[in-house]
Amino acid sequence: MDGEETRDPPSERAGLLERRVMEKGETTYRIVSKNVSEYHFIVPYDLSEEERAEVGQIFSVRDGSLTYLARVLDIEHSSNYDGHWDTTIKGTNFFDSDQIFNRVVAEPLGCVNEAGGFRKSRTLPTKFSPVKRAEKEQFRFLSQVMGDIEVGYLRNGSRLVEEIPVALHSQAMDHHMGVFATTGMGKSNFMKVFAASCMRLYVRGDSNFGLLIVDPHGEYLKGKGQIKGLTHLQKYRSGLACYSTDRQNASDPGVEELAISEEEIFPEDIALLYEWSPPQRDALDAISRIFDSRSWLEDIKTAEGMARMMQEGFKDSTVSVLVRRIKNELERNQYIKKRSSLANILANLKKGKVVLVDIPRMADRSELFLLSVISRYILDEYKKDPNEGESRKNCLITIEEAQRVLGAGSNTSRFESIAREGRKFGVGLCAITQQPKLIDKQLLSQFNTLVVMGLGDRNDRRQLEESAKQDLSSLDIEIQTLEKGEAVVSTLGIPFPVPARIHRYEDYLSRLEREAPERTARKGGFKPFLE
Amino acid sequence: MGEERRLSMVAELIRDHIHLEGIDQYLKSTGIKESDFVPIKPADFSGEIFAVDGSNAALCGWTTARVNLIRAGYAVYKGREWQRTAITFDDLFLADPLLCQSNFDPYLEHYFGLTGIDLQESDLDRLSSYYREMQEYLAINDALDHARPGDIILYDGSFEVFEPLRAVLSVIFHRASEREVALLAVSKSSSLSWGQEITLPFVQHTALAGSQLYPGQAWCLSLKDKNLAAGQGGWGGQSYVVCFCGQTSLAFRVDAPAYLSQDMVAILGNLAEHSCSAECMGYPHALFRAHRDIRITEQEAAGARERLLARLMETGMTLGQIRMLMLDYHDILEMKSRF
Repeated sequence: MDGEETRDPPSERAGLLERRVMEKGETTYRIVSKNVSEYHFIVPYDLSEEERAEVGQIFSVRDGSLTYLARVLDIEHSSNYDGHWDTTIKGTNFFDSDQIFNRVVAEPLGCVNEAGGFRKSRTLPTKFSPVKRAEKEQFRFLSQVMGDIEVGYLRNGSRLVEEIPVALHSQAMDHHMGVFATTGMGKSNFMKVFAASCMRLYVRGDSNFGLLIVDPHGEYLKGKGQIKGLTHLQKYRSGLACYSTDRQNASDPGVEELAISEEEIFPEDIALLYEWSPPQRDALDAISRIFDSRSWLEDIKTAEGMARMMQEGFKDSTVSVLVRRIKNELERNQYIKKRSSLANILANLKKGKVVLVDIPRMADRSELFLLSVISRYILDEYKKDPNEGESRKNCLITIEEAQRVLGAGSNTSRFESIAREGRKFGVGLCAITQQPKLIDKQLLSQFNTLVVMGLGDRNDRRQLEESAKQDLSSLDIEIQTLEKGEAVVSTLGIPFPVPARIHRYEDYLSRLEREAPERTARKGGFKPFLE
Repeated sequence: MGEERRLSMVAELIRDHIHLEGIDQYLKSTGIKESDFVPIKPADFSGEIFAVDGSNAALCGWTTARVNLIRAGYAVYKGREWQRTAITFDDLFLADPLLCQSNFDPYLEHYFGLTGIDLQESDLDRLSSYYREMQEYLAINDALDHARPGDIILYDGSFEVFEPLRAVLSVIFHRASEREVALLAVSKSSSLSWGQEITLPFVQHTALAGSQLYPGQAWCLSLKDKNLAAGQGGWGGQSYVVCFCGQTSLAFRVDAPAYLSQDMVAILGNLAEHSCSAECMGYPHALFRAHRDIRITEQEAAGARERLLARLMETGMTLGQIRMLMLDYHDILEMKSRF
């Protein structure tokens, strides 16, 4: 308003006229519609790159003492003109840029009261309430509900909110976790950041669970080239226990050569390795009935052992195939020895350490076999005494390419049983996959923590949306447009799916190495430790 | 078949009324010469353009009175940039002939120093229209308070107003002249006509003639001393037909007070620069915006009607009583209900 406008004109002094003036800038960034489950507001159509609204961005709506938060689901071209007037440029151009705008469709997340308490909203903000991009003040309440395992920073659209770390809850880990992303979106980086945070918690005495990672790609131990591994985190190295099938890696100090005792292998572990005909399958099932469970691998290879099988009615050819395959596996998997690392692995997990089993160049089936043996051992041991006391930490078992063992119709009931009943005994699964559509929907619904990092396949997204505990259906476009390293994290204890940028492991590593020892994290109330 | 023939006859008649076959007859009959059309060159204009408009919507009524929602105000532009829209009146008006003086007099006296204007009018719609016009003049008056010398104020309509309110216009013209503000009225529709045997639309035919004579250019035509059926005149100014934008063949009646007669081409040049928007090409853009910002939409009127009904019922009247008293039997014939 200019100077002329501010003086009191004679017409107003009379009191007969009640002037009301609408000025520039009053029409955008205000709630204009629509209902309790969907808010609409408008923004200028020609915003600069930095100011543009983005899908996934969270805006705050101030209305009295409440601040509503809403996440952008979609952005549409729109105008105050009926029909399609605004699609045709006639004359010199449109004059009224404030009448042509972008309509932002947003999903309400909830509202924050003046005391900083957050709750879901059962009403909608007053029409024309002002809207602005949510900043750290509006997200402050999230710090109170974040967990103790830091994985990244809150992301608002493409912008980071560095003051608000995104951290998962240790207590939620036995409720299983899923990490979903297509190739190259940062699954391995996420797992390393996750493991580093777990190592840190262990060293600081705050660990609530042991983390088992079986790494068939040999990338977690020492990394590759510029990519760092978990052993590079020297400051919290004592939170990591390493086992490797690779002789060279195992020769490093702090890395133990992996060994599995023959006694610890069950016929059902062998079953994972091959496709079996029905008679062969019957023969496998009969082994535990015919032989002593501690020596069956030795016994069946002998002439007497084969004869006992045939006495049970199995054909010579069936038994021969069975024995030949068992011999092959024993020769191929050199880590099968008289001694075993499993007790040690279990002990480290119970202490709350990160246990890395490095199995570079191992074939797909052999990896599954090994994972099967270790998982069964862990579950059985945890089952033996679920109330072992406070001293025993829970355990989270990581499965890469989880669709192999958790897919509908897969014959790997062991992993399914962990997913279904592991929580009772403190054992959780961390399923990593790029194809969640192949995972059994019922199993997926057991996963209470989802880290979604960009899925192009509509069926993958739909599978997650249909199974997730929190409603992800509205985030379809956002998940589709996530960039490398970006994620949507849905977990227990955090009231809505949180957009995050996962730390780059190498950056996180150097930050942790510089971290002051006295600034410790506490359970249930993660304190950021920024420089 | 008889009906078809009749329709054909009427179609022919309409064609005779609206079609212009060549401009010779038009020029001859109206006394307009080609040279009377003056091309307008769009010019940069750094001042402000105020566009005044009003709107009214009937909310309810009975045989002797009517309640209208009336709004008046103006939009302000600087160059092509909208600056603000001021609403100077936005209220209900009870149109009752016996309350007429008390409704009008305070405004007329206070703002225009006019007393004793006789506004007795029994037609309720017309009474509402007068009130709206008065509020529009008050909006012009308010715009004059905020305008600087050289600014332009546009009024949506004509200065050819009914007799009693001409005194108001006279005061406004005087103020505008004193403040060196250009005040023009732009009519979207006009009853100006020409022709001896039948009544022909003057503004539309002038637009056709102008677009033939000055294709691709803006132009204006003064109606002074031309042979056409105009209003009664005597409102203190001069009428023009103006094409504001060469990209269209649309033309409008423009009324200007006498004090502007020497500056009209320059003023219209300033307006031409701002009459070529994509939103409403050919029409001064500020008036387009004023129309949109000030209009009372159907939804608004319906909302106001509902609120008024609720208040009526709070006074103890029943819906049945209200319906009976405000019944317009046309509504029964049309099978619709106002309330």
